[in-house]
Order: sequence, then structure tokens, then C-alpha cells
Amino acid sequence: MEPLEIFTVETTEPSEAAAYESILKDIISELAFSRTIGRIKVRIRPEDSLFMMVILLRRGLPPIKAGEISDTEFDREHAKVFITVRDEKTIPQFLDRLWEQFGRQNVMQPERNIIEVASDLETVDKFIAELIVDDPEKTIRERLADMAIRATPEGFRIRYHSLDSGKFVFVASEDTMQQDWIDEANVMLKELEGDDS
Amino acid sequence: MAAVLEPYIYEGGIHKHSLILELLEDLGGYLVQKTPASTEVTLVMLIPKKDIHLVEDLCKKLLGKLTPAPLTGTEVAVVSPTLASHHLPHSACDVAEYLRRGGANTNMIGLARGMGRRVALSADYERKLINEHDVAVFSFGTFKDCIINKKPKLFEGIEIPIVVTGGPDIRTEEISGADIYVGGIGRVAHRMRKGSELDAMDVLNEKVGEIVNLKRENIAKDPLAVLPARLMKEVQEQVPDILNVLTPAPITLQLDGMRVKLPYDRYHEAVGNIVFDEGFLLSDVANILPSKMKDYILVKIKRRSEVANI
Repeated sequence: MEPLEIFTVETTEPSEAAAYESILKDIISELAFSRTIGRIKVRIRPEDSLFMMVILLRRGLPPIKAGEISDTEFDREHAKVFITVRDEKTIPQFLDRLWEQFGRQNVMQPERNIIEVASDLETVDKFIAELIVDDPEKTIRERLADMAIRATPEGFRIRYHSLDSGKFVFVASEDTMQQDWIDEANVMLKELEGDDS
Repeated sequence: MAAVLEPYIYEGGIHKHSLILELLEDLGGYLVQKTPASTEVTLVMLIPKKDIHLVEDLCKKLLGKLTPAPLTGTEVAVVSPTLASHHLPHSACDVAEYLRRGGANTNMIGLARGMGRRVALSADYERKLINEHDVAVFSFGTFKDCIINKKPKLFEGIEIPIVVTGGPDIRTEEISGADIYVGGIGRVAHRMRKGSELDAMDVLNEKVGEIVNLKRENIAKDPLAVLPARLMKEVQEQVPDILNVLTPAPITLQLDGMRVKLPYDRYHEAVGNIVFDEGFLLSDVANILPSKMKDYILVKIKRRSEVANI
């Protein structure tokens, strides 16, 4: 699936679709989502106070494991572990995880890409072997919720959403949620999937 | 007979700008607002019509720019349904900024519960606050159905002229309660700087200008007992504490009065006791009221017909 290969906005008054499409594009680019979303379809019926959005996400990035992006060296004499991080972008998250586990006083960063942990060597080794530094999928889930709330007309505060293996369904209204709307959104999702389903 | 005053904005370097202020004082004009920003300064002025060329020459000499500012001396309320990111900073703040370029003083008012369709409503306090202004500009969204059928209930109780902005093209008559509708300024999530957006804002400034002119003409039929700009000068001279107020516009002019940004409890008597050369006090020719905005003082000047004996 190409990024944003399908981008459809349907409104009751066809001329208003373009304006809303521009809002969505701004929000997508602001949240740096354009490469994550494969297909998106939005249907708005202001007279029913209804906003529906279905999104097919492109296959996400795998979780980043500590072992894949760093090397560890042990200084047994001083009971220290030196971690050399090769992927610079992940250093902040790496530090966060280590601080969480070993406390700030035991984790130092003498150089930009070197982290020094003072603790029981085996514990550190075991921890790092299992450590997932960053999970892009999780951040995407959080940002997706943010995007949905930003995109919805304000005041539509009754919301339904579901995210299942990269398929996002979102319905919002200011009135009580109706099953028909959720069903309609699921039909939209099926249409969006097309031959891929 | 009083000189006819024309509103202008000067934008230029701060160096030697005091020469303009001196000239303005000599000519009998008024400085409405001065906004220094680093090495630049913006002066909003009322200049006697027959002497404009003198100020123009001086501005040219100082390499500054003098432009007419038809909205000078007006206080405009830019009302958005809420203060949420759906309306702010774009487009409501862009609208306010553009109106300020026309010389207006703007206040952003975000309603507490103005969002949505069925649930949208305004509070009594909010209506009173909006009514303190000269014009209210309501900044709405993208959908025709909402603007025509649902949002006009926010206009209930608003007694000042109402300008509505929104995305679609709608005729003003279709929106009950609106005095003018300006399209092409709907909900956007980016700063408005495309050609079509700026054109729409120019139309907005023009339309607001028309409404302001109508109101001015209406006032001219039965003029105010004292000119707001003249009153402003008297406040600065007779209530010197106003010079210590740090807001950008300590005295905000309105078409029929002004907002003095001093606490009402402590200063309303001092403001009421301002003496004019003719011998009367301000409290004789104006209503001095507590403003709904913070604890400021709102001065509404009476018409000549109301104070005929002075």
C-alpha cells in the first residue's frame, strides 16, 4: 500500500468536502502521519451531527530491540556496563528505560552515544537482552487518537473507535451513538479495503 | 468647528519617531496607540484631514509607511465558539490580526459552551461582554447547515452589529440575525496566507469598515458630547496612573466611548471627575460603568441631545 493512496472526504454538500480535506491534510502533516496512513475515508453529515472516519494503516515498523542497536561491554573491575548506541535517534528512549529501571544516579551518559550503567552486571545484561527501546506501533496508536480528536468537528464528543490490526474505525457525534452509524463505518472500511480484504 | 480627523497607521523605525508625535500634537491630532517592537514602532493616529500631507512628508523622510486605517477607534470582539484548537489560533486569531491591521482593537472571546450544534449556547455574562464592543465578528466553520440552522442562536441577546465569517458561500439573508456574512474564512488548520484566504480577509475588513461607517454616520446625526479621542487625552492628563498600566492599549477607544483599563472601584470617581475646558465634568456627559472585562472601567459618552443644557 502506498502512502495516502486513497484519500476521500464525503459531505452532504459536495463543495464542503474540499475544505474539510484541507483541514485533514493539515492535521496529517502536522502529526507526521502521511507515511503511516495508507488509505483514509471520511464521511460527514452535519445535519445528523455525524462524523465518520476509517483509516487503513500501512504495515508499521517493528519494535526496536536494544540488542539490535547497541553493543555492551562489561567493566567487571568497577562493576559497570558500557552501552554503545549505534542508532542515535533512540538514545532518549534508551536512557528513559534505563533510568526507570536502575535510577538516575546509576545511569550516566559520558559521551553522546555511550551510556554507562553502574549496577549488578548480570541484571543489566539480562535487562538489555530483553529491552524494547521503542515501539513505533504504540506511539502511532496514541497519535492516531490525537488525530481523530483534532479532525472531528468540535462538540462531537460522543465517540466510538476501534483499532484492529491496522484498521481504524472512528465515529463521533454530539448525540447518542447509534449502532447503525458504527455499522455504516464498518461498511466504509470494507469498501476501503476493496480487493485487499 | 472641530477639525475632521482621519485615522492612519504609521509603521517605521523607532529612531526619531517622536518627531511625528510632536508634529501630531502641534496639528491637534491624537495618538490612539503606540506599539514599540524592538527597533520598530507602530503608531495609530487620528490626523486632522487638512494637515495629512505634513505628516506624510515627515513619514517619508523617516522612511516609514503611513497607511489609512479605517477601523481606528473601534473595539471589535472576535468571538469563536470555544477556545479549543479547532478555532484557534487559525482562523479566529488570523481574523483578529487582520482587523488590527485595519486599526481596530480586537478582543478574542471564546465562549464556554459555543461548540457543536444542538448543544451550542452562550451565557448571559458572555452576551453582556460582547455587547460592550462596537462590532462582533463571529468566526464559524465549514458547514452551511450549521451556520444557517444552528449557530444563529449564539446571536440571541447581541445588540451590536454582527459580522459572521465561515467557509461556504452563503447569502447574508439566509443567516438570521447576521448583519453581514463573509465567506472563505472557515475552519482551517494552517495560518491563513494563501491568496484566496487573504482576499477573503480583505473583504472582511472592508465589510467591517462599512458597518463602522454606518455606525459613525448614525452617531454624526446626534453627535457625542465629547470626542472619544479628546477624552482619551484628558484621561491621560488628569488620571496619570493610566500611564503605569502595562496592557498594550490602556485606553481602548470605542465609537461611542472607551474602556479605561484601571480598577473600577478605585478609579471610577477620578475618571468621573475629569474636568473639561468648557467647565463640565465627565460624569455629566457620560455613563461610567464597571466593565465585564476584568475590573476595568467602561465609559459610554452621551449624545448632545441628552446633555443639551451643558
